[in-house]
Amino acid sequence: MAAIKAVNSKAEVARARAALAVNICAARGLQDVLRTNLGPKGTMKMLVSGAGDIKLTKDGNVLLDEMGLHPRIIAEGFEAAKIKALEVLEEVKVTKEMKRKILLDVARTSLQTKVHAELADVLTEVVVDSVLAVRRPGYPIDLFMVEIMEMKHKLGTDTKEVNSGFFYKTAEEKEKLVKAERKFIEDRVQKIIDLKDKVCAQSNKGFVVINQKGIDPFSLDSLAKHGIVALRRAKRRNMERLSLACGGMAVNSFEDLTVDCLGHAGLVYEYTLGEEKFTFIEECVNPCSVTLLVKGPNKHTLTQVKDAIRDGLRAIKNAIEDGCMVPGAGAIEVAMAEALVTYKNSIKGRARLGVQAFADALLIIPKVLAQNAGYDPQETLVKVQAEHVESKQLVGVDLNTGEPMVAADAGVWDNYCVKKQLLHSCTVIATNILLVDEIMRAGMSSLK
Amino acid sequence: MAGGAREVLTLQLGHFAGFVGAHWWNQQDAALGRATDSKEPPGELCPDVLYRTGRTLHGQETYTPRLILMDLKGSLSSLKEEGGLYRDKQLDAAIAWQGKLTTHKEELYPKNPYLQDFLSAEGVLSSDGVWRVKSIPNGKGSSPLPTATTPKPLIPTEASIRVWSDFLRVHLHPRSICMIQKYNHDGEAGRLEAFGQGESVLKEPKYQEELEDRLHFYVEECDYLQGFQILCDLHDGFSGVGAKAAELLQDEYSGRGIITWGLLPGPYHRGATLPFHCSAILATALDTVTVPYRLCSSPVSMVHLADMLSFCGKKVVTAGAIIPFPLAPGQSLPDSLMQFGGATPWTPLSACGEPSGTRCFAQSVVLRGIDRACHTSQLTPGTPPPSALHACTTGEEILAQYLQQQQPGVMSSSHLLLTPCRVAPPYPHLFSSCSPPGMVLDGSPKGAGLCFLSLHSSGEHPSVWGTVFLFVPAPDPGSLGQRPHQTRLAALGQLHGCWSGAR
Repeated sequence: MAAIKAVNSKAEVARARAALAVNICAARGLQDVLRTNLGPKGTMKMLVSGAGDIKLTKDGNVLLDEMGLHPRIIAEGFEAAKIKALEVLEEVKVTKEMKRKILLDVARTSLQTKVHAELADVLTEVVVDSVLAVRRPGYPIDLFMVEIMEMKHKLGTDTKEVNSGFFYKTAEEKEKLVKAERKFIEDRVQKIIDLKDKVCAQSNKGFVVINQKGIDPFSLDSLAKHGIVALRRAKRRNMERLSLACGGMAVNSFEDLTVDCLGHAGLVYEYTLGEEKFTFIEECVNPCSVTLLVKGPNKHTLTQVKDAIRDGLRAIKNAIEDGCMVPGAGAIEVAMAEALVTYKNSIKGRARLGVQAFADALLIIPKVLAQNAGYDPQETLVKVQAEHVESKQLVGVDLNTGEPMVAADAGVWDNYCVKKQLLHSCTVIATNILLVDEIMRAGMSSLK
Repeated sequence: MAGGAREVLTLQLGHFAGFVGAHWWNQQDAALGRATDSKEPPGELCPDVLYRTGRTLHGQETYTPRLILMDLKGSLSSLKEEGGLYRDKQLDAAIAWQGKLTTHKEELYPKNPYLQDFLSAEGVLSSDGVWRVKSIPNGKGSSPLPTATTPKPLIPTEASIRVWSDFLRVHLHPRSICMIQKYNHDGEAGRLEAFGQGESVLKEPKYQEELEDRLHFYVEECDYLQGFQILCDLHDGFSGVGAKAAELLQDEYSGRGIITWGLLPGPYHRGATLPFHCSAILATALDTVTVPYRLCSSPVSMVHLADMLSFCGKKVVTAGAIIPFPLAPGQSLPDSLMQFGGATPWTPLSACGEPSGTRCFAQSVVLRGIDRACHTSQLTPGTPPPSALHACTTGEEILAQYLQQQQPGVMSSSHLLLTPCRVAPPYPHLFSSCSPPGMVLDGSPKGAGLCFLSLHSSGEHPSVWGTVFLFVPAPDPGSLGQRPHQTRLAALGQLHGCWSGAR
């Protein structure tokens, strides 16, 4: 459905499901009213108008018209509820300086949903430190500056380390190069060698050349003989990241090769694993780009971990850019629902039902959280709601005990911008569902 | 630049491209298998151009196509996305979750018996879950008895072939297969139908990154990357994928050659409706047409070939073929060529351009599979030669001379290869058994060994795609039954550059 596109396609799957649950809840609200009509044992409805006129009916159509349970009115109620919910969100958001400690909590909340707890703890620090490393004041955070690499690795087996070495496939290859071509390439290689000699002469520093295009084996060999590590076919985005990591800048032609364009790193080495070679550039002073190396035994684990990392990175970026967060564990939903129930009394007419439905729908979150943890959803919800009313704090579900807890104190945080986005898009989707007259199939149902 | 093999990376985009690719790689495989036969002419084509050597984590050597293919969800059937070569069952089982886990299994595709058989013929899944190549007996002992005890290899029946992996004989590298999960291969909805959809697939960061990473993996190890050959479906959204891919390649790897083959699963072969047949012919044609840049000695690089065929910025070429080439037993090359008279010998394979090729500007011609003995005429000395062709001393000269005579204004580049085009089962019964030279393999009576292919660029602007040309195989003396004389195929050979301009 087109409306589904309104949902941030990058939102985690769990959150998208929550949105659906809201929709279904609203539709169910409508069904509840009409359900009791069915059959000879069904309930008859007596309708009394404002003027005292009476009508008895079970007819669904009549009920819909007379009770004014028109989908459009429900939808209007949604709209009003959404506005109120957004107000509540503004009131409860917690604005803090995004220091490392709080960001760790944000990251951990996200990561623990995706990978097991031990791994989540490891990833938490790494993810936060990555974002903080690539953050540049005055610029939006560019997550592309955090590269995620994978190594398919036998657990517990360490692989051999290979120091930069180049080799020819056959000696004949060298001879076959046409003289003229060789001279041209030799000149270029010589420029690099000259620069290296100039810069590294007095020290035992190494010299590395990284090329975005190819380098032929003959040149690789010449460079190697002069102690120069040469890497070819670097990915374009890595060229940029290298400048950020090591200082220096990429040059387009050999004429521009000067000392000023050189960067620095403490250690460069190569690592071979099967048929893949990894080059490590470490000990950079003040790096503004970061690489995370994920080692795992198989593709699906690597993918799972990479996805978790990406979500964690985004959660932190959101937190930093929002400048605020909201307590998690279903705490906001409980608070919003409570506010809406109060608010609905000020709504005139049928739209009130829409507001009630919205509030009920929000409570799905804490209920399902509890249910998944193995606790009774209704019981838990009642406890949490009571605690919220009494303490006036934002109280959610403690998944370890099934008891209410102050989410902020427990370090469970959600992104403000994500919650805001959800409120908007869920309302739109639910409204669309209610107002649909005809369904036209256009593409595979995504509800697999 | 001479030196090591001039590597080419192949991209297959789409399902029909997968069919063509499967036949193509099967043909390469058949050619590789023959390398040790002493009767064969020494390697004229360099397999390292298209293949790469590698190693699994268990130290096993592999030799797989340098290939990236993209296809839709559901198109692989029982073939695993990462192939069978680099697997490790134990490692595959590990997961990074300790909480509750529910498994939702898709209905298992019935294991393709042909794939099973192929895998078991080549190797063995050991108890530790690692697939290993069967050990070759050492030279001292006697080699295992063939035929009598070893079961005949399973060949899929044509009716059982639904997807290209059903008849692929070659192991692919785990990095080769890239699935587009957004769209379905079959079913009623969610198909990749429009050009725009295809284009936007490669605009998404996820797929862009996937393609870039795989490209990087293959390209980084190439010492003399020649360029890329793209096989791309034209009849569905993959046309957009191809256009975008070519654009990306041009961006990242400018200076390398890019040749794109737009493929249409030409319909309605009399008696056969399967892409299996059309793709076989196209694969054979493409295998031959690409010979110039795969030669072992004095190859014409892809970039040179493209330059030669480009005319006034027009970068679209058409292809024509005769498969098999009508060399009657006892005939020599000059004799056969004379038979054509003044007419254009080959039949167009492309859905555009003029069939008679009267406004052809440049062409690249390849003729292969003719025994050296038949190259020149066998006239007794003293007999006056019936034509200038008969007076030539080498096959290459004869061919060049013929082309010059045929089309005097055209810039022709020709190649004469001894190696025929090898085909091995499974291959459709399109060409009946006839003249032995280079035609058959393993005694099976079908082959397309002699191929005469040409790629030509013409002065006129290509017209609307859609009309399809007739491909008529040359009449075989003594042919039996199966003679498809109305196969409609469409194939388009295209050089990258002005793709959108040419459309």
